[in-house]
Amino acid sequence: MFALELAARPISYSGGSTVMAFSNNMQDSVYYHYSPNHRLSLGVEAVNNKYTDQNYTYWRATYLLNRKNSQHSQRNVYLEAGISSQGSNQGFASVHYDWETRRWFSGFGVKRVSDHATDYSETFFKVGIAPYLGEYGDLHTWLLLKRKRDTRLEHWLTYPVLRFFKGNFFMEIGYKSEIEWDTHLMFRF
Amino acid sequence: MRSFHVTLVLLALGFSQAALATPDSELGRHHEDAAALPSAAAASKRYQAFVADLSEINVAIVGVKGMVCDFCARGIEKAFKKDKFVRKVDVDLANGQVLVAYSLDKMIDQREISQKILANGQNVTAVAIVKI
Repeated sequence: MFALELAARPISYSGGSTVMAFSNNMQDSVYYHYSPNHRLSLGVEAVNNKYTDQNYTYWRATYLLNRKNSQHSQRNVYLEAGISSQGSNQGFASVHYDWETRRWFSGFGVKRVSDHATDYSETFFKVGIAPYLGEYGDLHTWLLLKRKRDTRLEHWLTYPVLRFFKGNFFMEIGYKSEIEWDTHLMFRF
Repeated sequence: MRSFHVTLVLLALGFSQAALATPDSELGRHHEDAAALPSAAAASKRYQAFVADLSEINVAIVGVKGMVCDFCARGIEKAFKKDKFVRKVDVDLANGQVLVAYSLDKMIDQREISQKILANGQNVTAVAIVKI
């Protein structure tokens, strides 16, 4: 349910693989993807949907539609789609955008899901700041604020997210009393 | 102070890279315009530290656009370290610069460098080759 907004870095470098794990009160999942080039990733996600009490698999593809590199920033627009193992009429499509410097981050995304129980959409905004600028190889920390809406919940939620990464490891932790802990772990190799 | 023989090659893409687009003498010794080019001095200190324990090498000094995140830059280091001629790699996020030390057996191909950077999703602005 909350995988979209936490799915940072959806494409790796050419020839790179990534393993992600998501966990929140609605679902747990493990997602592996491979990037044949820096514009595309193809992967598979095993999902344990706590909301519908079902297990299924998503075959996923992510495409980097647009990237603008500047000396001190990078902007990305991604398209994502996934098809469920339980039927080609079940899946999701999304678009998301991010822009970041070493100090600032902003992101926006919309996702439409045709789920096993219902159809719904998600929208999110995210802004963040790095409280310090680490060198390459240091532990990097981000403080983020996320605002999101899930059409099943009928109202917007706003909650803080902490992001850490060091080397090939990446972690995000968000918390909101209504959704409890929302975690995302990632390892790239 | 080491003496350097410099081969300076620029892939001019329309973006100024002060620390790179200057001759070797300005990489670590002459910074008359340092106030206007604050990244140059920092880049030079880093360069001196990088080459301090190296000899008989070529150093590629690569200016990179879009290298704003450690996690996103990991592929750059990995890509260059796959090359058996590469002895050392340094990624400088603050100055958007990558230093690559090659053994002298390697014929450095700037297009190959650009392709490695692009394969990680960033763009090369300039490449300078310094022989030590």
